[in-house]
Amino acid sequence: MRTRLAIPILVTLLVMAFLASLAFGELRLSFSQVVAALGGGSDDIARTVVRDFRLPRALVGMAAGAALGASGVVMQAFFRNPLASPGLLGVSSGGALGAVAVLALGPMLGFASATLWALPAASVLGAFGATGAVLMLAQRGADTERLLLSGVALNALLGAGTSFLLTTTVGHFEVNAQILFWLMGGLESRSWEHVWMGVPAILAGCLLLLPLGRAMDLLSLGEHSAQSLGVDVRRLRRQLIALSTVLTALATATAGVIGFVGLVVPHILRLAFGPAHRRLLPHSMLGGAAFLLACDLVTRTFPIGLRLGVVTALVGGPFFLWLLRRPR
Amino acid sequence: MSTPALHAAGLSVPGRLDAVSLDLGPGELVAMVGPNGAGKSTLIQALAGLLPAHGAIHWNGQSLSHIPAAERGRRLAWVGQEAHFEFAFPVREVVAQGRYAWGDDPTGVAEALAELDLTFLADRPATRLSGGERHRVALARALATQAPIQLWDEPVAQLDVRHALEVMRLARRRADGGGTVLVSLHDLRAAYRFDRVLVLDRGRLVGNGGPHEVLTADLIRQVFRVEATFVESLVPELPQD
Repeated sequence: MRTRLAIPILVTLLVMAFLASLAFGELRLSFSQVVAALGGGSDDIARTVVRDFRLPRALVGMAAGAALGASGVVMQAFFRNPLASPGLLGVSSGGALGAVAVLALGPMLGFASATLWALPAASVLGAFGATGAVLMLAQRGADTERLLLSGVALNALLGAGTSFLLTTTVGHFEVNAQILFWLMGGLESRSWEHVWMGVPAILAGCLLLLPLGRAMDLLSLGEHSAQSLGVDVRRLRRQLIALSTVLTALATATAGVIGFVGLVVPHILRLAFGPAHRRLLPHSMLGGAAFLLACDLVTRTFPIGLRLGVVTALVGGPFFLWLLRRPR
Repeated sequence: MSTPALHAAGLSVPGRLDAVSLDLGPGELVAMVGPNGAGKSTLIQALAGLLPAHGAIHWNGQSLSHIPAAERGRRLAWVGQEAHFEFAFPVREVVAQGRYAWGDDPTGVAEALAELDLTFLADRPATRLSGGERHRVALARALATQAPIQLWDEPVAQLDVRHALEVMRLARRRADGGGTVLVSLHDLRAAYRFDRVLVLDRGRLVGNGGPHEVLTADLIRQVFRVEATFVESLVPELPQD
């Protein structure tokens, strides 16, 4: 049975991507050197490179990928639309605006040195602000179309705010560059602080999501039918929106703005291993983690400085268009 | 009279439903007719607890607001007018969703598939079905719940004559087994086969009783603005087996 192979296949892919992201880079290491460095052996340079630079980078990448993959699954079930993704609600834009506000206004207000924690805090705050605004705008009836259109409007509004901050900082080259880099996503210079900031919370969010899979099956085939079959739809929707907002915000806070992971990964895994959410959720967490690490490897392999968000968009954009052209 | 399975008093939804009161008893097979926009779907959804509505709703004597979500799923099944499946779950899994409120024990899933002539389609993705087949899947899922109250919104509108008659027979069997079945219809002739007929017009209940007392030429003229005459005509029936 194909579905039973899913977890072994995805775990293998993830382990491969994980080891590769510890081995590849400016200092090319062999797998035995990587394993030795992880265990505390090997030479000083290899140990430092693996344990202080590449391991936190890989962990943050895995967590962000898992969070975005899971968020995508949740959004698609929530909106009953396989084309929905975390960016749709305006959550990513809210997170981006929060973070950009800190980056742009921080130096003026004099807390530039605190940005490591201020940035994710503002990002989470912005994401929740955006989700709250969408839900409030769409509260009456709260049908899918209304929610989606609220997301579109909010995305435009938040995007305008981000653009405004970006243009006001044109004079400060460093700040401007920092914002642009962050808006294009990336895992460079992730430290253990980033790991502690994002990974445990993402793990907790993922674990809380897993038991909701069965109810998501019913929700994904219709709100009324789910409710009539015994799902507490209002409660489920609240749980789903809260968890997916937190997961998206944490991914955005730790790795910048990265699009399309939540669209591409669940879609491929649904086609390969079926739509049942009890399986699709863990599959998309593993798959999202592996996919983001693989994209990060691409950014490292090309010497021209491709950003992570650019790579995922280069994969995701055409994929999205292909989905749109495909007869449903 | 024993406790009604379904009781509504002064049920209103602004602009759509105006102070509808009714009681449906156990063992009753009830048809609901009315022109487009009369509020049939709204009434069915309100009775199923799927719409915010003013007024009182009781299931088996218990106020709806006191019945927890999962218990609702065991007591009442609703089938909507539209049956769309956005994700490619196999037919068998969609029908098995009817067992959610029972902790997903698979009792009755195979029977429900067989009753709606879906056994041969059980492994096909629900996204690749015709409109009529999708409706049969939704009905099978409702039957799989084994809920005593069944509310079906235009279940036969998209079905061929054979499957429509089979659905009517299933509804009759449910009622004979002590269940309560409410079915909305457009075919006035079919309504004569029911124990009771509700007539809805512009959000108000204007008829409630046996089909021959309620569906008079006068009422049909008033509500549907057509002339009705009784003549002998072709009556399709399922073969006796």
